Amino acid sequence: MNALLKVTGMAKAYGGNQVLASVDFEVRPGEIIGVIGPNGSGKSTLLNAISGFTPIDRGEVLLQGRPLQGMPAHRIVEQGLARTFQLPSMPDKMTVMEVLLAASTTAHGFWGSLLGSRANREAERAGRARAEQLLDELLLRKVRDNAAAALSGGQKKLLSVACALMGKPQLLMLDEPTAGVHPNLRRDMIQTLQHLNRQGLALMIVEHDMHFIRDLCHRCIVLDRGQIVAVCTPAELSSNEQVLEAYLGRGTRHPKEAIA
Amino acid sequence: MFEFCLHVLTLACIYGLIALALNLQAGYTGLLNFGHIAFVGIGAYAVGIGHLAGWALLPSLIAGVLAAMALAWLVARLGRNLASDYWGIATLAVAEIVRIIALNQDSLTGGAQGISALPGLFAGASNAHQNLYTTLLLMVLTALFAVLSVRLANSRFGRALRLLREQPQLASCLGYDLLQLKSRALMASAALAALGGALLASYTSYVSADYLLAAQTFLVWSMVMIGGLGSVRGVLLGALLVQCAYSFVPFAKDYLNIGSDVAGALRIGLVGVILLVCLLWRSGGLLPERLRVMP
Repeated sequence: MNALLKVTGMAKAYGGNQVLASVDFEVRPGEIIGVIGPNGSGKSTLLNAISGFTPIDRGEVLLQGRPLQGMPAHRIVEQGLARTFQLPSMPDKMTVMEVLLAASTTAHGFWGSLLGSRANREAERAGRARAEQLLDELLLRKVRDNAAAALSGGQKKLLSVACALMGKPQLLMLDEPTAGVHPNLRRDMIQTLQHLNRQGLALMIVEHDMHFIRDLCHRCIVLDRGQIVAVCTPAELSSNEQVLEAYLGRGTRHPKEAIA
Repeated sequence: MFEFCLHVLTLACIYGLIALALNLQAGYTGLLNFGHIAFVGIGAYAVGIGHLAGWALLPSLIAGVLAAMALAWLVARLGRNLASDYWGIATLAVAEIVRIIALNQDSLTGGAQGISALPGLFAGASNAHQNLYTTLLLMVLTALFAVLSVRLANSRFGRALRLLREQPQLASCLGYDLLQLKSRALMASAALAALGGALLASYTSYVSADYLLAAQTFLVWSMVMIGGLGSVRGVLLGALLVQCAYSFVPFAKDYLNIGSDVAGALRIGLVGVILLVCLLWRSGGLLPERLRVMP
């Protein structure tokens, strides 16, 4: 099967600190892949490097065979690779609906906007329809007209997912989608993400919550000190030696429940 | 007295246009431009230099607008890697450079003397009518650009600008080219500011390097801050209030029997006091920007 995203030999150092050391992996079409690893193992840097927010030292990133490395972040989004942030901050002078509409970049030119060109009006109409649909799908209907900055942490995460989906990406990368989210909302989030996945969206999720990973992901990548130490199914995680070692340190005799 | 009110209103309209232009950058896009007056000055000098070269008002004005847009394009690129506060200082420097060129290029700009006897807007009409027509034209222009400003802010482009202002990282993560957005907003603003500058030079029939003093930029900033950053109604109110404060101080001078040097300082001090009161009492301005609820 052809890979949707293929990362080869990706390396990144901050000064003498090798945050990523030759990382290779691929994401298949329609797959939900989890990225786990202890704090400081390079998960967020990996996401930033793929999405163009952090320049890489070496390596290659291919989305459907097209190289992405060296491309500015806004161009990478256009190729169909969207992302969210760990701590999404939202504007305080814009409503949720406005943020959603702003999340679609089609036909936002100066003259078209000022004079109301046909392309601009059509983009606005399509954007509104899509935004209203996403408000329902991501449980944001009730806060449609609230200031986006006034949302709860969990709702902001949902809004950032909704924003990413306004552009109809092929692969969506989520950075800790459940951190600080209420358990009920977490359940809804799993359902929403599964629903999106059934529609063909591939997901790459950086997450600490093992239950979330187990309920959602098809495969997992385990990062430790900038290297991939294991690629396995969520079920295999708790029996994988490298995973135990990454999380608990070398020579651990302790039970598998430790990371369960 | 009627003539005087027309005069105040005309100046308020001209500064209203200049403040609307600054609002496009500072209010919508969040660009801290402390050299806004450079665009105004280019518009004003275009009318002056055009007059010396024997051009009519309209072509000089268009040349000024284009020159200001070219400078805006450069300034946007100049600071592409600077954080917004550093960029603000860079714009201040650019405006000073423009002012010093204007002050020293005697052959082109008349140096410290400036260029005087510039043609008015309705040179053919009688004196009384000329002022009235000018005021009316400026009111129409100000209303037109106010409507366009509101329209732009609510459009797809304006929403992108406001997202850039508040969450640049999110905007770039959603696929906006931030440099392109900033550069377009800056060029649109420069065009409007240059129009305001050209009208100012034509109305006062004079232009000199004093028009380009940094204090002028801060005067426009105080109009925008007093009225409400990002709010078109607020910005126009701010321009009117500050212009009134400026124009009525000379009356207070006669009434309170104070010298003209003190009166000059009083003007600036008064604007400072109004600004301070506004910032403490209503930090969003008198008519602050509101949430735009979509139907």
